[in-house]
Amino acid sequence: MTTVSMVQLEEEIVRPRRDPLLIALWVALFAVALIWIAPFVFISFTALKTGNEIMTTNAFAPPRVVAWDNFSGAWVKGNFSTTFFNSVIITVIKVPLGLMFSAMAAYALARIRLRWNKLLLVFVLFGAMIPFQVMLAPLFTLVNSLGLIDTYIGIILPYLAFGVPYQVFILHGFFKAVPKELSEAALIDGASHFTTFRRIFLPISLPVLAALLILDFVATWNEFAMALVLLQDKNMWTLPLGLMSFQGQFSNNYGQLNAAIVMTVLPAVIVYLIFQRYFVSGLTSGAVKG
Amino acid sequence: MFNSANLHSPRTQALILLAPALGAYTIFAVWPMIEVVILSFQRWNGLTADRAWAGLDNYRYIFTDDPVYWVAFNNTLIWTVMSVIFPPMVGLLLALGLNEKLFARGTMRAIYYLPVIIAPIAVATMWRWMYDPFFGLFNQVMTDFGLQSLIQDWLGDRDVALYSMFVAFTWQNVGFSMVLFLAGLQSVDRSLVEAARIDGASRWQVFRHVTLPALQVTMTIVIVLSTISSLKAFDIVYGMTGGGPAQSTQMLAMWAFTQSMQIFDFGRGSAISVTLLLITLAVVVPYLRWSQKREEAAR
Repeated sequence: MTTVSMVQLEEEIVRPRRDPLLIALWVALFAVALIWIAPFVFISFTALKTGNEIMTTNAFAPPRVVAWDNFSGAWVKGNFSTTFFNSVIITVIKVPLGLMFSAMAAYALARIRLRWNKLLLVFVLFGAMIPFQVMLAPLFTLVNSLGLIDTYIGIILPYLAFGVPYQVFILHGFFKAVPKELSEAALIDGASHFTTFRRIFLPISLPVLAALLILDFVATWNEFAMALVLLQDKNMWTLPLGLMSFQGQFSNNYGQLNAAIVMTVLPAVIVYLIFQRYFVSGLTSGAVKG
Repeated sequence: MFNSANLHSPRTQALILLAPALGAYTIFAVWPMIEVVILSFQRWNGLTADRAWAGLDNYRYIFTDDPVYWVAFNNTLIWTVMSVIFPPMVGLLLALGLNEKLFARGTMRAIYYLPVIIAPIAVATMWRWMYDPFFGLFNQVMTDFGLQSLIQDWLGDRDVALYSMFVAFTWQNVGFSMVLFLAGLQSVDRSLVEAARIDGASRWQVFRHVTLPALQVTMTIVIVLSTISSLKAFDIVYGMTGGGPAQSTQMLAMWAFTQSMQIFDFGRGSAISVTLLLITLAVVVPYLRWSQKREEAAR
């Protein structure tokens, strides 16, 4: 605990409306939070212990000798350099591209008057609710018939498709709320919709785009089911597939298994810790409004 | 086609803006949904060019002859009922608590939400290891507390495995409901709460008559989203048990995948998918109607 937080703590407690119920509540919430974080502690500690230590020491005892070689061992055995690379390539291409496409479509649906606007919107939103887990087989059939199994593009295209509905939903709501005067002035000056979109709508929607970018990064980074079906070649696997196979082959090497878990999870955790507030705003802006 | 005269028409511009997203969406999301319905009426092994018409045979098979379908159906039902009740309930309690001005509430919110951003497959791997009968966390901790009699083979016992899996699922998903409820709580009228308190209402009365009614919309959203996400449970099943032991954790999404991609019976697999799709639609369509009405009412 830093001194700052101690001062805060004192303030909270010394405050005139100190309430025994609130203190009990805090204790309960804190205890549950400890339980919630316990698995992370256990996994991290195990990842740093030697096999012998795992079997002889307490689950929450910190490692006596830090076994960093669990990480290097798991990295090599689990083929992490390949799966990490594939995950990075797919995520780095898919996430910005998908967001761009969604923003373009959302702008057209929200700001260009077309006869079938509403119908199209319902058509797109519908997809946000449909589980792709139901369509794994036909998705395989489709990508296979295009000859795109085991290619980056063969997984990026379906990822794009299933990312569109939610993003369009959020951005449509946002663009719709932009005051008319803002865009009409530009359009009267003779600017095309492309220019209006790029010069006015993209800049003002940056916070929303950032939130969606972060959410989509995590979703893409974590995706498993589609990758399982569309990436059959070991050399094309993404991190989640690599972890799954590692679990299958080396589940008895507990130290390395936990190191593999940590390495898979860490990028998403870091992104989360840095961009925390975007997660909440990205999730809630769509689902709950007032 | 796109000469400069055409580009000035808003319609053409709209088409250009819509094309990439709608194209990908139609081909890779909508078409597979249609295809899964077509496949469910055919006999196909996924490899040969021969896709014979099978009428309702696939459906007849999964409903009457498939020994696993109804097991998977039941498990999915149990799973859905549990995920509509428990994670939202815990999420609501946490949100109510963390909505108070408490010390370190930001940190606690972050901790509860952390599991949400982790890959479900990694959660499965983590928990499989924690459930390890010999060196896993649970049995170790139970031994420490002298509770050896309660030690289980958490994922190996067919009476326990589904519930063990659900505990992991709850751990991961509580944060999601919590965040939605926290957002919903911001819409509760502060002055109304304070007025009620001044009038001598107890905490429970305030909760029951002010907070809870204000959360109704959020509640509906959380419950629908929980239902949809529980129907598509796949990663966690695949990663934790693969449907075993003895199909005791088998679920519809997983069984559809197994039929198509492992047994190579695309017809039967697709028929299972279609039943799951219909169940999902039965939840989604009324929900979309409801939210559209709400949007229009808000205007």
